[in-house]
Amino acid sequence: MTDSATLQDDGLLAQRIRSGDRAALGEVYDRHASAAMAVALRIVADREGAEDLVHDTFVAIWQKIDRFDPARGSLRSWIVTIVRNRAIDRLRGTRPSIEIGEADERSLLRSGPNPTWESAMARLGGIQLRAALDELPAEQRQAVELAYFGGRTYREIATITGVPLGTANGRLRLALARLRERLSQTEAAPIGAGDER
Amino acid sequence: MSEMTHSQVEELAGAFALGALDSDEEAAVRAHLAECGEAHPEMEAALGAGIVMAESLDPVDPSAAVRDRLMATIERTPQAHRQAVAQPVRQSRRGWLDWLSPRVARPLAIAAMAAVIAVGAWSLGLQSQLNQRDAALRAVASAISGGQAAFRVEGNAGRGYVVDTPGRGAALVVTDLAELPPHRIYELWLLNPAGSPVAVGTLTSTDDAIAVVQLERDLSGFSIFAVTVEAERVAAPSSDPVILGVLGSS
Repeated sequence: MTDSATLQDDGLLAQRIRSGDRAALGEVYDRHASAAMAVALRIVADREGAEDLVHDTFVAIWQKIDRFDPARGSLRSWIVTIVRNRAIDRLRGTRPSIEIGEADERSLLRSGPNPTWESAMARLGGIQLRAALDELPAEQRQAVELAYFGGRTYREIATITGVPLGTANGRLRLALARLRERLSQTEAAPIGAGDER
Repeated sequence: MSEMTHSQVEELAGAFALGALDSDEEAAVRAHLAECGEAHPEMEAALGAGIVMAESLDPVDPSAAVRDRLMATIERTPQAHRQAVAQPVRQSRRGWLDWLSPRVARPLAIAAMAAVIAVGAWSLGLQSQLNQRDAALRAVASAISGGQAAFRVEGNAGRGYVVDTPGRGAALVVTDLAELPPHRIYELWLLNPAGSPVAVGTLTSTDDAIAVVQLERDLSGFSIFAVTVEAERVAAPSSDPVILGVLGSS
């Protein structure tokens, strides 16, 4: 969960990193490395490789912190986006780069801001987010997971799942619409009922 | 790929938000969004959805060695924006009020920082020794304890910090100060938000590895610090700044 206090603190930490404060990067790492590691590990399924990706991601954060714009999304979203892109690059055999590259820049446009998703992140824990994903029809959940964690295009998803292109694309659209509706209705879990994030 | 229509772009919103377009399609969507003046409600609703996928996972801690490796790596890794901030000053042939223009102020604002320092801690470093100089500036750059504000300033003539110590006034601490031409001095300025400069001191010697100048005014009411090269102390600057910094909030 990313509450408003965390977002404010992240903003201050980003300012400190921008001023060259290495300890601030350490604090950002302590806050968000486990989320980044979870994404990397899910994608590359190799702990050592995932750790390399997490390391490279935070080096990139250090180098290119001036590219971070809080108006476009949270620091956590940015970190997760970068590590996801790098993990997908590795999965595809694309040469990994320690720089924040063009793909990362493009992904910034995809990463927000979006009040629905950011609000859900602020209110809900991982268990509730997983529950919302679990409620999707199986074929829609498969499609979004192939896209996000598998780095597959909707054309590839159509081939993999044996459906027409329009169907594969439609599943992604419907999945996000349903998720958005579900999350906007979900209340925060009572204290102790959510996860530890 | 050829141009996309508005409805085609909307239909691809989910795939775009999840990074599931091939590069040609993604470029075409992006080109459309950059040019199209109409609203894209489905695209706007979908953007940023990836974070939900990421946050649905159980956190996994990397091994402790990763953090150690990271901190060692960044110790020797420069930040991109720090290599570019002096550029506007170096190329500047601007009038004084132009210093406040977004083009000049924005890169400097990026460099401006609200760090806190204990002046006493680095006063021992003012012994004109390079290692002590570097240690002092690192302390300024990274200090996080105490109650003062330090604002980064830099330009062709050197780099350093303006330090504001409540009750003790403000001071410029600068290193790598360029040698002055014959019969010239450095003059220090504070500018208010309207761009009016106020002379706050001079510096004539560049012999010391670190120069420290107590400013004649505190920083309240001022938003820009600057240094110019003058023939003598003057009431208004006659040249472009050689060092410049934004006095951001602390």
